Amino acid sequence: MTGHDDLPAAARTRRLEERLIAAGLTSDEEIDGFLATMYATASPVNGATMVARAWTDPRYRDLLLSDGNAAAAEMGFDGLSYALRVVPNTATTHHVIVCTLCSCYPVSLLGPSPGWYKSFAYRSRTVREPRAVLAEFGLTLPEEVKISVWDSTSEARYMVLPARPAGTGELAAGELAALVTRNGLIGTALL
Amino acid sequence: MGGQTGFGPVPVGDDSGAPAFAADWEARVYALAAVLRRRGAFNGDELRDAIERLPPQGYLGASYYERWLGALETLVAEKGLAP
Amino acid sequence: MTRDSVGYPAGSRVRVRTGDPDHHTRVPRYVRGHTGVVVAVLGDWPVPDDSARGIDLPRVETCYAVRFSAADLWGSGDHTVTVDLWESYLDRP
Repeated sequence: MTGHDDLPAAARTRRLEERLIAAGLTSDEEIDGFLATMYATASPVNGATMVARAWTDPRYRDLLLSDGNAAAAEMGFDGLSYALRVVPNTATTHHVIVCTLCSCYPVSLLGPSPGWYKSFAYRSRTVREPRAVLAEFGLTLPEEVKISVWDSTSEARYMVLPARPAGTGELAAGELAALVTRNGLIGTALL
Repeated sequence: MGGQTGFGPVPVGDDSGAPAFAADWEARVYALAAVLRRRGAFNGDELRDAIERLPPQGYLGASYYERWLGALETLVAEKGLAP
Repeated sequence: MTRDSVGYPAGSRVRVRTGDPDHHTRVPRYVRGHTGVVVAVLGDWPVPDDSARGIDLPRVETCYAVRFSAADLWGSGDHTVTVDLWESYLDRP
């Protein structure tokens, strides 16, 4: 137990795994299986699919904004481990999501979170100077667009409903979903 | 740490196309935490608390998943999960 | 745990308690002592301060999305910050 902090993280991880496996608390199969499932199912395509439907189906949009979990279940994403709350960008309001306390994130609908989302810089600055943070992503919003920052401090996880880009009226559902980026779902990009 | 100053620019660079985990061990730490939570060894609040209780140099000087690893080691020791 | 009525309906002004507990809590420091407006009632969930300490029967309380103005929090900025806060984190102003 002593001195193990000096080992590289990879060695410490393997040592911890071996101890837990020996104690019967997990197995290599379980860990491998968890990762395989996550890689196969957790993706921003999920959130994008929900957004695309909301753009074309007013009833679904209303459901998405009033009961995110029910809306997710309708698209086959049931059993979410969090309360999904979706917030819509408008002509005058742009939403941005952060978790200042630790980096909570809706992994099942957006995939694993990007490194920058977990950084001290993003966690500390987004609530204080969101325009400057968005500028670092290459996003400059007009003055009249106000920014609404959401700090995910509870069981709720937030996702942005981006505004539908102009000139997309003829696109099919799959093409619309392809326009929705992960950063658009977090609020650090427009589409 | 909302509002805390001095952390510099957001590391946007490691964005498009970057893998979810920088190394295999990070993914395994993430998975270990999830399967242990699923088994009821500890809950998410206990995990976050263990991260927050890391010594300051362990918190600020460690990478994100190094902090998770330190927290898992703490919880395993405190709860006697692997005697 | 069921409630006959919600403690702070949407639209209520609430003040975040001050204090720096020596245990885990989910009140960000930057809102402590500040006053905001409830924009949504989120749900009844275990209070993290209790679950983090392994308390077998944690308090279950209503959690609220509370909106603060940047001007109040930082003295500058035209944005708002909405934070999810459990009922025992809040008082009437």
